[in-house]
Amino acid sequence: MTTTTADITRIVAVRRAAATRRQGVAAGLILALLAAFAMALYLGDYPVAAQGIIQSLLSPLTGLADRGVDFIVLQVRLPRAVLAILAGASFALAGIIFQTLLRNPLASPDIIGIAHGASASAVFCIIILGWSGLAVSLGAFAGAVLTALTIYLLAWRNGVTAFRVVLIGIGMAAMLAAVISYLFTRARLNEVQQAMAWLVGSLNAARPADSIVLGGAMLVLVPLMIALLRGLDAMELGDDTARALGAKVETTRLGLMLVAVGFAAFATAAVGPVGFVAFVSGPLARSLLKGAGRGFLQAALVGALVMLVSDLVAQHLLPTVQLPVGVVTGACGALFLLWLLMASGRSGRVN
Amino acid sequence: MFRPLALALTLLATTAWPGYAQAWDYLGGDGETVTLDAVPLRIIASQDAAAGLIPLGIRPVAIYADSAVSDAKALQGLDLSGIEIIGQAWGEVDIEKAAALEPDLIVAEYWPLETTWSGGNDVVAALSPLAPITGPKQGASILTLIEDYEALAASLGADLTASDIAASKATFSASLEAFKAAVAAKPGLTAMAVWAGADALYVAATAGSSELMDFAGWGLKLIDPEVADDRGYWETLSWENADKYQPDLIMVDNRADATMGTALAQPTWTLMKAAEAGQVTDWPAFWLRNYGAYASELDKLTAAINAADAGLAP
Amino acid sequence: MTRLMAEAINIRTHKAVRLTIGLLVLGAALLAITMLSLTTGARAIPPEHVWAALTAFDPSSTEHRIVLDLRLPRTIVGLMVGAALGLSGAVLQGATRNPLADPTILGINAGASLAVVLGVGLMGVSQLSIYVWLAFAGAGVAMLVVYAVASLGREGATPIKLALAGAAITAVLHSIINAILLTSPRTLDEVRFWQVGSLSGRTIDIAIQVAPFMVLGMVLALATARLLDGLSMGDDVARALGQRIGLSRGMAGLAAVILAGASTAAAGPIAFVGLTVPHVARAITGPGYRWILPYSMLMAPILLLGADVLGRIIAPPGEVQVGIVTAFLGAPFFIALVRRRKLAAL
Repeated sequence: MTTTTADITRIVAVRRAAATRRQGVAAGLILALLAAFAMALYLGDYPVAAQGIIQSLLSPLTGLADRGVDFIVLQVRLPRAVLAILAGASFALAGIIFQTLLRNPLASPDIIGIAHGASASAVFCIIILGWSGLAVSLGAFAGAVLTALTIYLLAWRNGVTAFRVVLIGIGMAAMLAAVISYLFTRARLNEVQQAMAWLVGSLNAARPADSIVLGGAMLVLVPLMIALLRGLDAMELGDDTARALGAKVETTRLGLMLVAVGFAAFATAAVGPVGFVAFVSGPLARSLLKGAGRGFLQAALVGALVMLVSDLVAQHLLPTVQLPVGVVTGACGALFLLWLLMASGRSGRVN
Repeated sequence: MFRPLALALTLLATTAWPGYAQAWDYLGGDGETVTLDAVPLRIIASQDAAAGLIPLGIRPVAIYADSAVSDAKALQGLDLSGIEIIGQAWGEVDIEKAAALEPDLIVAEYWPLETTWSGGNDVVAALSPLAPITGPKQGASILTLIEDYEALAASLGADLTASDIAASKATFSASLEAFKAAVAAKPGLTAMAVWAGADALYVAATAGSSELMDFAGWGLKLIDPEVADDRGYWETLSWENADKYQPDLIMVDNRADATMGTALAQPTWTLMKAAEAGQVTDWPAFWLRNYGAYASELDKLTAAINAADAGLAP
Repeated sequence: MTRLMAEAINIRTHKAVRLTIGLLVLGAALLAITMLSLTTGARAIPPEHVWAALTAFDPSSTEHRIVLDLRLPRTIVGLMVGAALGLSGAVLQGATRNPLADPTILGINAGASLAVVLGVGLMGVSQLSIYVWLAFAGAGVAMLVVYAVASLGREGATPIKLALAGAAITAVLHSIINAILLTSPRTLDEVRFWQVGSLSGRTIDIAIQVAPFMVLGMVLALATARLLDGLSMGDDVARALGQRIGLSRGMAGLAAVILAGASTAAAGPIAFVGLTVPHVARAITGPGYRWILPYSMLMAPILLLGADVLGRIIAPPGEVQVGIVTAFLGAPFFIALVRRRKLAAL
C-alpha cells in the first residue's frame, strides 16, 4: 500500500478541519460560560450595579470595601458560581470517561451505581448517624469510592469487560437505591427532607472552602487524566487490537476509572449528586464536535455551562421559591439532549 | 387597636432617641446568650418561630419555611401579608433577599437532638453571617414552648396584655380546663396516636412528640408502643397486626388530610374496636405553636373524649 | 448429511424437552410460593385456618379477614405484577436491543411517579385505587412522549435513541417530582411509601382494576416472540427477511408499556425485576424469545412473591417492602450470574 501525496494532503486537510472545529466549539463554549458567569455575578435579589460588582471583585487589591456589597459578591455569588463551574466540569469529565471506557452513553456514573453509592452513604449518615454538613460529604465521598471499587472487583474475572461493569453497576445501583428508599420509609419526616435536599444537590451552601478542595482535587486529577488518555487512543480500537499494540489495557482502564471516580466523588461531596450533568455532557459535546475528536475539554465546558445556567434558572425562575440546582440540571440538560435528538438527522450517532 | 400603638411606641423608644436605646439580650435554646445594642426590630423567623411570634404581635420581616407556605400547617390561619417569604424548600433560603432586608436577628427553634436550628445546618450557615440566630428550644411540652415565645415576644416589645392576645390565652386556659375535666371524667379511657400508611400502621411513642407529652401530663392515658426501631419514635405495625393495641380513642396525624383516608381504606383498620366504633379524632402532630391553634385542637380532642365509650378496650 | 440433520433435529428436540421440563418446574415453584404467600405473614395463622378462610369464610374471624382481605389480594397482585414486570422487561430489551432497557430507563416509572406525585400534591389524592389510574396514565403518556421523541429524525426510533430519549424524559420528570417533593413535605410523606414499591395494602379492587390491562399486555407480549427473534438479528437482517421493523417495535413497545404501566400502577415502581429476570432467563434458555418470554413470565413472579413473603417475616411486627427485598435478593444473584456466565449481549 503506497501513500500518495494526494492522500497525505487529504488527511492533513481533514485533520486541520477537525482541529478547527474542536477549537471553534471550545471557544464558543468558553464565551457562553463567561457570559453565564457574568450573569451569575450580576443577577440577584440584592441589587448591585455592575460597577459595584467590579469594584467588589477588585477590593482585595484596591482596598475599597463596601461591607454589604462585598458580602453578596465575594461571599455569596462568587463562591457559588465558581463551585458550579468546578463541579459541573468534574461531573462531566467523570461521565465522559465512563461513557468512553464502557462504550455506552448510558454508562455514566449516575446510572451505573457510583452516584448511588455516594447517595446511599450520605443518606445513611444523615438518617442513621444523624450527621450533617462536612461529615456527610466525607461519607458520600467514601461511599462513592467504595462502590466503585466493589463494582470493579466484582466485575474482575481475568480482566474486566465493559458489559460486566455496566450490568454489575446497575445491580449495585438497584441495591443501593433500595437502601435509600428503605431509610426514607424508616426516618422522621424532617430527616427525610434533609436527605432529599442532599440527594437533589444544591449550591446554596457553597463556601469558598468547597471550591478550594474541589479545585485542588482537579489540579491533581486533570493531569493524570491527560496522561492516561494517551493510552486510550490505542484502546478505542478494541481490547485485542490495543493489546497487540502493546498498550497496558488494564492499567489504563483502571487508572482512568479511578480518575473518573475521583472526579465524581469530589464533586458529589461538594454539591451532592447533582443529576444528569455527568450523563448529558459527553453526548452533547460530541454532537457539537460532529466526530472531530473525543471532546473531553468540550464536555467539561458543557458540564460547567449546564451547571451554572441551571443554578441561575433555579435561583431566578420562580420569584418566591429558591430551588436547589439539582432540580434544574435534569430539566436543562434533558431539554438540550431532546433538542439534539430532534435536530440532528443522524441522531443515532449522539455518542 | 392597641397593638399598633404599642408597636409604634416601641419603635419611637428604640429608634427616635438613640440615647435611650437599651441593650437587648436573650438566652437561646442552645445555651448561648445573644446580646444586641438595641431591641431588634427587623426579624427573620423560621416558619415555626413565625407561628409562635405572629399571634403575639411580633411580625417578622421575612419567613423561611421548609415547605410551600400554603402547606405549612403551623402557619395556617395567620396573616402573612407584607412578610417576605425567603425559603420554601428544605435547605434553600434566598440569602440575597435576606441580606437586602438587613435583619437584626434571626429567630428559629433549637433542635437539641440535631444540635442545630430550624431549617438545618445549611440554612443556619447561610443566614448567620447576616445577624445572630436565637430562639427557644424544642422540648417536652408545646405549652412550655409557647411560654418561651411569650417571654421572647415580650423582650422584643410585644404587649402581651393586648386584648386579642389575652383573649386567646384565656380561651386556651378554658379549653385546657375542659380537656382535663373530660379526661378526669373517664379514668378508664386510653388513647393512641397513629400515622397510617398504605404499607403499615405507625404507632407514635409519647416521648417523641411534645403535644403528646402535654396530653399525658394533663392526665390522658396514652398507649406507649414497644418501640423496636425507627429511632424511638414509632412502632411499625403490619396491617395484619393492626389489632395489637386496643385503645378507646384513636388519634390520627392531621398534618395531611390524606392520612385519615389511607387509614379508612385499610380492610383491617376496623380490627381496632375504636375504629369500628368511629372513636377516631385528630392528632395535631408536631405543628402547634400558639394558643389559638392549641385551643381549637384541644376542643376537638375534648369533644371526642366526651363522646367516646371508654369501655371498648378490655 | 442425513445423519447430521438427524442429529441437529435430535439436539433441538432435546433442548425443547429440557426447556419444557424447566417450565413445568418453574410452574410448580410458582404454585408453592403462592401457597407460602397465603400462609405467611406478620401474623401467625395456621395453614388449616388459611384453607378454611378460602373455603368457608367466616366474617367474624379476624384470621379469616386477614387472609381474605389482605393476603389473597396481595398474592394475586404479586402474581400479576411479577409476570408483567418479567415480560415487559424481556420485551423491552428485545425491542430496543439494549440490555439495560427497563421501565425505569424508558421513563415509564418516572411518568407514573410524576402522575402520583401531582395527584397527591395538588389534588390531595390518598387512595391507592386512584393512584392506580394516575400511575397508569402517567406511564402511558411518558412512554408515548419518549417514543415520539425517539422517532423524530431520519432513522426513526433506533434503540440508542429510545434509551437516550427515555433517560432524558426521566430526568425532566424527576426534576419536576423533586421540585414538588422538596417544597411539599406532606406529599413527600405520602409518596415515600408508594415510591418504594410494595404489595402491602393492595386490595382486590386494585387487582380487578389492572387485570384487563395485564391480560391484554400479556397476550400482546407473548405474540411478539417471533418478531423479537427477528429484531435480534439486527434491523437489516430483519428487514431483509420481510419484517416491518417499525411495526414490530411498536407492538412490542405497546405490550411493554401496558404491562409496565399496569404493574407500576398496582405496586409502585419496582425497578429491579424487569431488568434482571430476562437476563437470567436468557442464561438458561439461550437466545430465542419463544422460550425467554415464558421463562421470564414465570420466574419474575417467583422472585417477586418470594421477596414479598420474606419481607413479611424478617422484621416483625412490621414488614419490609417488596421493592427493597427484590433488590437485596435479586442483585447479588444477578451479580453472581453476570460473573459466572457470559451473558449474551443483545
